Amino acid sequence: MSAKTIWTAFRNTLRALRNGEFLLRIRADKYYMHIMYLFLLMWVTILLSLQVDKTLTQAGDNQAAIDQLRIHYAEKEAALVKLHSASAAEARLKELGVELTLPQEPATLIKKK
Amino acid sequence: MSKKQSEIKDTIENRDRIHVVMFFLSMLFLFLGVAILLRVVHIQASYTVDERVIGLFRPSVQKHVEPPVRGKILATDGRPLAISAPLYDIYMDCTVRKQEYAETGKDSLERAWREKARELSVYLSNEFRDKSADAYAKAILDGRDKGSKYLRIQRNIDLSTLEKVKSFPLFREGPYTGGFIVEKHEERIYPYDSLARRVIGYVKEQNRIGLESSFDSELHGREGYEWRRVTDNKRWVRDLDSAQVKVQDGNDIRTTLNVDFQDIADRALRAQINEDDGVRAGICIILEAKTGAIRAMVNLSRGDTPQTTLWERENLCLREVGEQGSVMKTVTLVSLVEDGYVKTLDQTLPTNNGFVPGGYNQDVHILDYQRETGRRDITVMHGFEISSNYVFTWLAENYYGKKPQEMFDHIYSYRFGEAFDFDITGMGTPVVNRPGTPGWSKTTLGTTAYGYSLSVTPLHVATFYNGIANKGTMMKPYLVESVEKDGKVLKRFEPSALNSSICSPATADTVTRALRAVVNEGTATRLRSAKLPVGGKTGTARVVLSPKERGGSSDPYSDIQGRKKFQGTFVGFFPVDNPKYTILVTVYSYPSHRNFYGGTKPAMAVREIVDKLYALDGTWDSEIRPTASVPLMEQKAEVEKGKVPDLKGYGLKDALYTLESMGLLCQYTGAGHVVGQSPAPGTACKNGQTVKLTLK
Repeated sequence: MSAKTIWTAFRNTLRALRNGEFLLRIRADKYYMHIMYLFLLMWVTILLSLQVDKTLTQAGDNQAAIDQLRIHYAEKEAALVKLHSASAAEARLKELGVELTLPQEPATLIKKK
Repeated sequence: MSKKQSEIKDTIENRDRIHVVMFFLSMLFLFLGVAILLRVVHIQASYTVDERVIGLFRPSVQKHVEPPVRGKILATDGRPLAISAPLYDIYMDCTVRKQEYAETGKDSLERAWREKARELSVYLSNEFRDKSADAYAKAILDGRDKGSKYLRIQRNIDLSTLEKVKSFPLFREGPYTGGFIVEKHEERIYPYDSLARRVIGYVKEQNRIGLESSFDSELHGREGYEWRRVTDNKRWVRDLDSAQVKVQDGNDIRTTLNVDFQDIADRALRAQINEDDGVRAGICIILEAKTGAIRAMVNLSRGDTPQTTLWERENLCLREVGEQGSVMKTVTLVSLVEDGYVKTLDQTLPTNNGFVPGGYNQDVHILDYQRETGRRDITVMHGFEISSNYVFTWLAENYYGKKPQEMFDHIYSYRFGEAFDFDITGMGTPVVNRPGTPGWSKTTLGTTAYGYSLSVTPLHVATFYNGIANKGTMMKPYLVESVEKDGKVLKRFEPSALNSSICSPATADTVTRALRAVVNEGTATRLRSAKLPVGGKTGTARVVLSPKERGGSSDPYSDIQGRKKFQGTFVGFFPVDNPKYTILVTVYSYPSHRNFYGGTKPAMAVREIVDKLYALDGTWDSEIRPTASVPLMEQKAEVEKGKVPDLKGYGLKDALYTLESMGLLCQYTGAGHVVGQSPAPGTACKNGQTVKLTLK
């Protein structure tokens, strides 16, 4: 292929592009459905990729929220457990001026017949 | 021009063209070669890496390591003894945007920042209450002037506080305007503070002790990692194309410890020793007789300085190897009864003025006994009750003198010769001076019989007594009953026996009778009126002083000023006829001229513990069952509107229901059923009127 042939093809291409005839010249209408299908696939791929990102971001946020709740739970549990001992209860009763003390005798349980 | 000439000309032209092309090619390569050479020189000499270039080579994914959450340590009822949660340190970059404000030349921006910093100081002062608002403001503004980029605001705050602090003025504007810096670090929270702290242990960087150390492999978990990539929205998400190792949080450890028992034992011990600065330490062990499960293990100690407050500093229950004194007479008694040398506790032996031949010291208490009773013999039972060293030396020498190994075989079978396997590492190794060892002398057998020459830990002693409580089956003490994950049991540790028969049940019954007598008639009468019957033995032992403590004294038990260190112990079980728990309390003294007896502080602490457990344990709760029933009303009361109903025979509940459903009020006296009412039945009444009832 000579340089002249290449130049002619290049010039024709530019002209076809200018006149809006490029796709017709290369007979792309024959592959219209294929081209559309390719565009659809690309669009779906991009959409899915964005959805995956969105889901992963959401999952990350949820995980962070779960972690935060776990920390809150551990802190509250520790604070609550601190009060759940005989000496803590006695100290609190004393602080409130209540005369109630720990039981001195075993409990008497009422059982059904 | 001939054809040949023409061909020659073409050849020459072709050659010229080739020469030209070759010339340009060679020049190009030469130029490239020089350029590469210059570039090499440039890179070697003065090239600096352009960030934009680095950016192109930086991988688009980053590795994110996820540390595991350390497992919990739980009490037997599931209450957490140790939990992991992060704590936060807050710092402040005081110089934030200072340069930028200066460059704009607008003082108003800088003034506004400083005003917000003052406002922030007020909030910080109100929240933490450790410094005044002025002090906070001064620190921040001075920091800004001096260029402090890392001013510490507060350390170890929890998440709730952090969230609050984040909303404070200036800080709410984030790190680029507020200079807010947060550093997170995982911390171990022990909700009960010092309670059982030496058993639970701690985690401090690489140091771990107690259960935190022994079960670290279970508690720690496994680190996970994943690769993350950045999305178009500049958020980091997991890269699904890369490998991921999921983090495995640590397993939970469920211990045998009972928080209430531990609390009761801790307080009872503190009540006895807290005010006495002659006491160096106090310990308590509570074992469940049937299983050997440790329900409480208290290790209160002052350390070397008497003025220091009591704290769980060292695990004396496990590590303090020492001569235990008279509590070991029970060991001798069990051996003698089991071997049939003592057939009955009423068996007698001569008193011999308290002398046992063979180089033993005289027991002066026997002289008192002789004087008080006028007798020249003594029963084994009474010798045990008054804890006579003479009696047990005489028995040991008389029955085991020619075959001491027989007694030491017993001692080894009671596991006094070894540091047996236990859930916490570091149990002290006992020292047994048996025949053939360097510590053996002609008096070793007799002194061993009453608790000297044989050094063991308090846990050994408690385990042995638990064997007697358990009719001869010596259970292995244990602290961990299961390994769990999210409440599901992964591994369960069942109770096991160290020696399934240290003695026959009959021997155990005989010795239990003797232990009961010690409490009723002997050295532990402070426990006589405990709410549950207790059987046990007291022991008072002198403690061998360290060379430093001795200060040149030749007596290993006293310093040059004659001061001695004592340990007083009470060990026993309750209720004595059907033992549920075995308990040991020991009190250790500093060198002093005072005596510390097992029958005083330790026995009093045991008394308090027994009384409280009696009320709280649940084993001794009683039940009320209904013995009669209240007849049900078979028909509805006949009520006439506007008239007081006849309520005679009604219970209070029914009477109240009837009156209130009519809109009447009620006052009553007495209890039982309605026997009288005012106004009388059938009297006209108005809404809101009060009817008085008498119940009997």
